[in-house]
Amino acid sequence: MTKKKLYIILSIGLIAGYTWLVYLLFRDNSKQGLPACFIKNTTGVPCPSCGNTRSVLAIIKGNFIDAILINPLGIIIATIMVVSPFWLLYDITSKKDTLYKSYLKFEKIITTKSIMILLIILILLNWIWNIQKGL
Amino acid sequence: MDAQKVDLFITTNAKYFESHQINSIRERLMNADEAKWVSIQSIDYKDPKTLILISIFAGSLGIDRFMLGDTGLGVAKLLTCGGMGIWTIVDWFGIQKITRQKNFEKLNMFI
Repeated sequence: MTKKKLYIILSIGLIAGYTWLVYLLFRDNSKQGLPACFIKNTTGVPCPSCGNTRSVLAIIKGNFIDAILINPLGIIIATIMVVSPFWLLYDITSKKDTLYKSYLKFEKIITTKSIMILLIILILLNWIWNIQKGL
Repeated sequence: MDAQKVDLFITTNAKYFESHQINSIRERLMNADEAKWVSIQSIDYKDPKTLILISIFAGSLGIDRFMLGDTGLGVAKLLTCGGMGIWTIVDWFGIQKITRQKNFEKLNMFI
């Protein structure tokens, strides 16, 4: 993973994410039913990240408790979406690579065996909770 | 390195690389030191066929990216339901090429 590639992927992701949110906020609310994810469409079972959009939308409206109850991962996504554009701009304007270095550090931390096992268990628990909630 | 050994390496491992990379691999192996043979032999390559199966069945969870060592991208894919399905489909078509590229990079570290 090169620095340029990471920044391009992150920019595309942020643009897509914000477009998606703006579309959802301004669309006709009478049409219900979000175009859900692949796993849910094919198997009917929610995936570990199902409900993230609803969670982020709840955060925008200020309902943090609702956001956690819908899907706690939404908080992580919301944080990334708020912080990373500024970080990206800072890196690009000052020609530094702090974001890239932090990304590599983050990759190194989560690939440590004990942390990885813990994260996998948490994701699985969240998945079970999602299925139970019937998101 | 001995031409026979290089040919043996190419025939057994050609499927792990892009066809246009084979010639440069052969050339560089020929020029490589004999002592590197053992370490080159022990490199663990990812099979593009395995990766495409994983990408089809578990791509939405980002498992294909985790396997290739792109942990950060794997997390991103997992958190966004496989990039809302779009990234998953793009990866169905691109993952084999990415796998071969990763294998090539891995080999490059040794020769």
